[in-house]
Amino acid sequence: MARILVVVDQRDGVVSEATLELCKAAKEIASGLGATPAAAALYKDDSVAKEVAKYIPEVLAVADPKLEKYTADGYSQAVKSLVESQDVKGVLIAHSYDGVDFAAKVAMDIGAGIVSNCNKAEIKDGNVVFTRNTYNGKIQEEKSVKTDKFVATFEKGAYDKEEAGAEGSVTAVSVTLGDIRTTVKDVIETMAGAVDISQAEIIVSGGRGTKEKDKYNEIIVSLAQKLGGEYGASRPVVDSGWTDAARQVGQSGKTVAPKLYIAAGISGAIQHVAGMKGSQCIVAINKDPEAPIFNVATYGIVGDLFEVIPEIMNALG
Amino acid sequence: MKIVVCVKEVPDMESKFKIIDDSKIDESQIAFKMNDFDEYAVEAGLQLKEKYGGEVIIVSSGPDRITKEIRQAFAMGSDWGIHINDPEITAGDGYVVSSALFKAIESLGDVDLVLTGVQAEDDQSAITGVMIADMMGLPHCTNVVKIEVGDDNKTLTVNRELEGGLNEIIELSLPAVLTIQSGINQPRYPTLPGIMKAKKKKLDVKKAGDLGLAEVGDAGSKTNFIKMFFPVSEHKAEIIEGDPATAAQTLVNKLKNEAKVI
Repeated sequence: MARILVVVDQRDGVVSEATLELCKAAKEIASGLGATPAAAALYKDDSVAKEVAKYIPEVLAVADPKLEKYTADGYSQAVKSLVESQDVKGVLIAHSYDGVDFAAKVAMDIGAGIVSNCNKAEIKDGNVVFTRNTYNGKIQEEKSVKTDKFVATFEKGAYDKEEAGAEGSVTAVSVTLGDIRTTVKDVIETMAGAVDISQAEIIVSGGRGTKEKDKYNEIIVSLAQKLGGEYGASRPVVDSGWTDAARQVGQSGKTVAPKLYIAAGISGAIQHVAGMKGSQCIVAINKDPEAPIFNVATYGIVGDLFEVIPEIMNALG
Repeated sequence: MKIVVCVKEVPDMESKFKIIDDSKIDESQIAFKMNDFDEYAVEAGLQLKEKYGGEVIIVSSGPDRITKEIRQAFAMGSDWGIHINDPEITAGDGYVVSSALFKAIESLGDVDLVLTGVQAEDDQSAITGVMIADMMGLPHCTNVVKIEVGDDNKTLTVNRELEGGLNEIIELSLPAVLTIQSGINQPRYPTLPGIMKAKKKKLDVKKAGDLGLAEVGDAGSKTNFIKMFFPVSEHKAEIIEGDPATAAQTLVNKLKNEAKVI
């Protein structure tokens, strides 16, 4: 039976949550297509394969010293080889930093269509229909592939994590890897020694809507101080150099879950939401009533943050 | 260095979007701009040119109006460009557009470095740069936040952004394709002399036929577009109405008495 194959997302042998979500997705898609769910564990040994076998009935373990560290060449060659030898219908990849680095290459190398950044897959008339975010999360679209095989990447949180269950089989598959054209020299921490906002009970974050550095300081930092909390930021604020990278909340920054999170002038792109959706109470202040941030917030005020926040300061006394 | 930067025009994401026939955006009400990530890519290309010499060539696919964004890249300091202006290419999927960009880049010969943004703000696919690299047979690195050229001018050391504030340091040889993450630099504003010069810079216009692309549009695509729609959220915030002072007072009361978080 054809396989729906999850490529395990892991670093240093630690399997990511995204992998468990993909296992869930693979089971759903496989059941709708009359296929079987499986995972490909690419690593230096079979330890990752054994771990993932708790979540999916079949794991193909590709163990090779060249796969100890992630590389686009190593991963795409290994996946291509598995697709050619193992009857694979669809390849599911995390829309993670590693996933986006090799998913399109796999699609090219196996001649398949790719639908990336999906949040849902449904079977309609025997075809997989993928739903994905576009336009900064404001619009969704449905796509399918025209090719016999497909590659899809899924955004974090698209599916619930699969729970550990009966131990699946682990089958060693050997592949011949060619040139690896990128060399991983090191992994560095870019925020070492900086402020840790993840422990704060109250965080006030500003986004692109704060317009400029002085206004960010005047409005966001002041409100955070008044509330006895920390100030944070979405990516554009850090990119513009208005505050330190250590204060960035989101996928590429900190994950926070304070009692109160105030998001001002932040549209609510999924990369930001991924870092703060666990907050107990979320307040969104944005002049765009369609901003996706209102879909995760507890309370929302549609308005100009430069008018609203000074009034909040007044109301706090 | 011969550097190519791929640039895409996208809608301003704060636009009020309207969908026509479940299939496209009503473009009449929308302001367009250069994809943010591509602006960082243009700046990265210009900084490399300033250090190592050579030229920065802009390649972009889209309708007539994208000359505005191409000229903006010229005004920043890029040398010249190729405008792929063919509705049959625009009608294709990411694979078709990547193929067209690849053919245009290939026609330049001996390119050292191709830069794209990490993703387009509208499509959010993050596949174009990787596809171009694969078509060119070149190594690539995505989500690049730092670029250093080796003393031999043949190798690159780049920082690839990872989750949670980590960077992976990667070495690869030129020629190569990099997709540029926002924040890698501070893109310059075009100067007035830059804008004046931009008007005279060479902009070649190409169609699918000129590029030797046989299959375009739907026929060349590997994916089907089915429909687009506004997401229906299961959760919506409780919107607090009223003028700023009233709304602020209500919010503070709710945070104190209802949510009990302050």
